[in-house]
Amino acid sequence: MNQIQTVTSERTGEMYYVVRHSSGLKIYIYPKAQNNSSYAVFGTRYGSIDNCFQVSDEPAPHRVPNGIAHYLEHKLFESKEGDAFARYAKTGASANAYTSFDMTCYLFSCTENVYDSLKILLDFVQSPYFTEQTVQKEQGIIGQEIRMYDDDPQWRVMFNLLGALYHTHPVKIDIAGTVESIAKITPQLLYQCYNTFYNLNNMVLCIVGNVEPKRVLELCDQMLKPSKPVSIRRIFEPEPETIVRSRVEQKLSVAVPLFEFGFKEQAANGRATSKQLAETDILLEALSSPASPLFRRLLDEGLINEASFGHEYFEGPGFASVIFSGESKNPDAVAEEIRAEIQKIRRGGLSAEAFKRAKNSVYGRNLAALNSTGSIANSLVSLDFAGRELFSYINAVAGADRDSVLRRLDSQLLPETSALSVVSPVQ
Amino acid sequence: MEMKNRMTGIEQRPICDGVNFRAIRDGRFKTVRMSVHFMLPLEKKTASANAILPFLLTRASRKYPDFTKLNEHLADLYGAVLDADVQTLGDVQILSVSASGIADRYALRGENISSDLSDLLCSVLFDPLLKDGQFPEDGFSQSKRQMIELTDSEFNDKRLYALRRCREIMCSEEPCGVGRFGAKEDIRSLERSSLTSVWDNLIRRARAEVMVLGDCDPEPVYRRFSEAFCRLGRASAVPCPTKVVKSADTVRQTVERQDVAQSKLVMGFRTETAEPDKDVPAVKLMSVLYGGTPSSKLFLNVREKLSLCYYCSSLYDPVKGILAVQSGVEQKNAGRAKDEILAQLDLVKKGGFTEEELKAARMSLCNSYRTISDSLDGLEAWYLSKTFSDPLRRPEQEAARIQAVSREDVVQAANRVTLDTVYCLTGNEVEKQ
Repeated sequence: MNQIQTVTSERTGEMYYVVRHSSGLKIYIYPKAQNNSSYAVFGTRYGSIDNCFQVSDEPAPHRVPNGIAHYLEHKLFESKEGDAFARYAKTGASANAYTSFDMTCYLFSCTENVYDSLKILLDFVQSPYFTEQTVQKEQGIIGQEIRMYDDDPQWRVMFNLLGALYHTHPVKIDIAGTVESIAKITPQLLYQCYNTFYNLNNMVLCIVGNVEPKRVLELCDQMLKPSKPVSIRRIFEPEPETIVRSRVEQKLSVAVPLFEFGFKEQAANGRATSKQLAETDILLEALSSPASPLFRRLLDEGLINEASFGHEYFEGPGFASVIFSGESKNPDAVAEEIRAEIQKIRRGGLSAEAFKRAKNSVYGRNLAALNSTGSIANSLVSLDFAGRELFSYINAVAGADRDSVLRRLDSQLLPETSALSVVSPVQ
Repeated sequence: MEMKNRMTGIEQRPICDGVNFRAIRDGRFKTVRMSVHFMLPLEKKTASANAILPFLLTRASRKYPDFTKLNEHLADLYGAVLDADVQTLGDVQILSVSASGIADRYALRGENISSDLSDLLCSVLFDPLLKDGQFPEDGFSQSKRQMIELTDSEFNDKRLYALRRCREIMCSEEPCGVGRFGAKEDIRSLERSSLTSVWDNLIRRARAEVMVLGDCDPEPVYRRFSEAFCRLGRASAVPCPTKVVKSADTVRQTVERQDVAQSKLVMGFRTETAEPDKDVPAVKLMSVLYGGTPSSKLFLNVREKLSLCYYCSSLYDPVKGILAVQSGVEQKNAGRAKDEILAQLDLVKKGGFTEEELKAARMSLCNSYRTISDSLDGLEAWYLSKTFSDPLRRPEQEAARIQAVSREDVVQAANRVTLDTVYCLTGNEVEKQ
């Protein structure tokens, strides 16, 4: 039997259904009846960091080549009958997929034939087909994808930072792997990873838009193949509390230097809660938004520009960091100013006005994100994998208090665990 | 005088000569977006001075003379955003200032956000901070520095950079070849003293589109902007023509070397077809069939069959009548990729595509048109791109026009295409033969 639960938000006037399907899959259905389009995501809790894992009913852990989750994402589009894009071409849906550090998602958006498109999505993700020949063919394509990222300064500056912050955690490894690591990928390895991680108990389906929940569930009943209830343990080597190095620099063909400045945190076993996340987001907003004294000082000194300067809370299984990023003629000076401002807030706190403003901004931004079916669908999936929920996060923002926000500084933004990554122009 | 031309969803009426008001009221959205877009012909001598204005104006106004105070006000309004943008549409430079924020009904303390946003927009556009009749030095030098850095950051993104360079080379004898900001030297040599009259020209002589989209009553916003524009005593609007080069006689080839791992190949074609030709929908459909989707000719052959690249796609600009194909390849494979791109075009010219391929392209394109109405950004971009179109079509009506394109129309569209420019950005190492 499928178990259906309704989740509502009075504050935003929105609602969705969560279904625990008898196959083991968790399904989110978020109706937006007035929309022309619908957006669906079928995701698995499996990303680039999962290069070592153990299944609950197996005796020993497995280690697999770097980049295999992403490779698998490319190859899953193919089946004996042809590729999934060719099938979507008959429904008019716009389809894609992405692999991140901790998940792989297959998605489509469409304005008609939504149930036919959903059927294709559910079918091809559940139908692996890997042969020596098809696996070989992908080496050239993914090789070019890797080369494209080699020239991408934003990508390079981020991975250089992660390499400076993390000693052992696989978050420091490029999502697509390297040309050498992907050369080791075989059909057998792909099947092994597929059979482990594409278990419906490890997956989430989410559909947002102009859909009838009843028809979605009928289709799921028809298409989903029950999976055996196993759990998968992600295995990470112990990560020291320290950073690897405090500064890293690479030269690339850029006209203006880029930087990422990160503060590593001790990641607990579990993920951050909605409340912790809301408090961190408000803290970072107060610290460095365009309304902040820090932002103004950096602008007046000509150290940042409005188009590129920003912050992010980068958090996942076994890792958590606050990252500031942007373009600057002098990234070291930016890092120094950020450190100084953090110390100032640590000593002097935040004014009631600055706190209220930061809270309003974070609230408004998250409310605005509810306009987009794609943003909702992708959020619901990633929140589910993190054990969080969309509306309770928005409520946590609206209900945050100043003291709790400031207490985040006890474990966050500690100066001894910061590192600066710079990409500068070739001479 | 109140002329309302009501189509389903969009309402439009003139504010005064050269100034048009368009509104879409839709309670589905949690937000409201208001924007004013000024349009002027692109010219080398004025491009940079015009382009700095949206950035300069959104830094401060007489009512909010301080950058931080202005941003505090925006944060108080639940993180409202005041944004400046410069883009090109054909040979026209569009200078935009917009304000977006959450709809009034979601304010935690019952604030009237939409009214504040329209006041704010009018304040920065029509009542800027001037000292002795000039924009203040600090705001000017900030805007100038940041514009130069924006230009530099376009160099950092090699995919975009290559696309832009190809277009510059291809359109070097057309106004749009100037680029949206003009040349970097022209930004550097901007002088503060000249900008007050450039601003005056912008608000009094440029054609303008005011848009209000989302969950908001447009009536008070209309009144607010009507007052503001009518008070200016506007002169007649500067005309904004676009030059269309129908076809290419010879092929321009450019190779540029930089320290990059992957080469970027961009090929620019003329299509003989631009707005308002009745054949524009046929070229749109042809471009999608040729290289617009993962089931297109370019994707299936250059990427999937030959494994030469990760991306290879085509994009049609109906205002200039230009088709561009872009791909990222190994230096040694650039020649093969180019040959295959041309071979696939020849195939389309000869009608070498199935009914299924045609139908797939049609469905994909119609799908993207029907999706536009689900986002405020999509709606704004659509209606802005239709500023010079008569009649004004909704995206759903454009989808209907695509449905009517026949196989023969697509073949004819492909046969009008000529190669104009081949641009390749490539690594410094000279290829070993």
